Amino acid sequence: MDCREFNEHHLAFVDDTLAGIELVRMQLHVAECTSCAKQDAKVRRALLLFRNLPSIEPSADFSERLEARLRASQNDNLFLTTQRNLRRGAIAATVASAMMLGYIGTTLYQSDMPRDLVMPPVVATLPEPDFTPITTSAPAIVTSVSAGLTLWPAAVFAEQVPVSFAHSNLELANYTR
Amino acid sequence: MADIVRKRVVSVEGATVRERLQAMDDSAVVTAFLGGEERAFSELVTRYQTRLLNFVYRTIGDREKAEDLVQEVFIRVYRHLHRFDRSKKFSTWVYTIASNLAKNELRNRSRNPLVLFQTVQKNFQDEDRPLQFEDPTSRPDDMYRKRHLREIVEESVAKLPEHHRNVFILRELEGKSYEEIAEITDCNLGTVKSRLNRARNSFAEIIAPYVD
Repeated sequence: MDCREFNEHHLAFVDDTLAGIELVRMQLHVAECTSCAKQDAKVRRALLLFRNLPSIEPSADFSERLEARLRASQNDNLFLTTQRNLRRGAIAATVASAMMLGYIGTTLYQSDMPRDLVMPPVVATLPEPDFTPITTSAPAIVTSVSAGLTLWPAAVFAEQVPVSFAHSNLELANYTR
Repeated sequence: MADIVRKRVVSVEGATVRERLQAMDDSAVVTAFLGGEERAFSELVTRYQTRLLNFVYRTIGDREKAEDLVQEVFIRVYRHLHRFDRSKKFSTWVYTIASNLAKNELRNRSRNPLVLFQTVQKNFQDEDRPLQFEDPTSRPDDMYRKRHLREIVEESVAKLPEHHRNVFILRELEGKSYEEIAEITDCNLGTVKSRLNRARNSFAEIIAPYVD
């Protein structure tokens, strides 16, 4: 064991709480190391002095003074409790008065207000739906149908004729150029 | 005649209750007090007043103030005993209150130089008073030596830093376990051991020149 380890375990060594092997090692170190032995003796002697300090006793009137203070403290508590209860009572009374005033105010306000007119219920019936016959709105198409051609190709043809003509004219112009 | 008999019965009953309380452990006395037995509180005061007074006095170094603080401890105990967690040790709780009050006192003193001055002055005046705990039949030189030694020890303790001194007194004077000290001072076990080790070594160093 070195001195550092001895110092680490010194607290338990003085308190006599070390395990058997550790205790023997510490004792061996004390026997070998003069400086640690000196430090150990110094601490033990100082502790002995401190532990033997005479005890001081409470003064003769300690109990009386304590009783008086306890009584005063109880009175304070009683006073505080009474005050707290009074404060709670005052708050409750204020809230109750406010509620009562509110209720009275609301009641008065409602009695002054004109009442709503009561009207007889409105009875209404749905009108019957008006059926209209389907009529054709394009007589020109009907006319073309009677000519023996289908409507759609005829319309396309009629639209495309000038375009195709123009196209053939353009091609012809290109060829001649 | 009947009154006298009744008084005797009451006093015998009272004595029995007191004896019963004396035989109880702290936890049972606390339970008795919470159950409405007012005399149980007196029993707690009797058990702890001297121990707490010594502890607070060694911590703050002012006897009168120490008495005031111990009274404050008991007032707090009286007020808050119903809140005490009975799964824990009563003594630890009481010492925690005392330790906190002593710490507050030291803090107030350090903040208020006037209080510090008054305390120092009062302690000087106290030194002129005759000693109460020394045998008056012993020889004057012996009395002087003892008194001188006691003063040196007290001064040496007072020189320790506050957090070291607190742990040191709880261990060396009150014989508290490390675990209890940890709980009272609200520190972990390692801190308690380290502070105690340092406090012991410092105290030994401070006092060594006077006793060698």
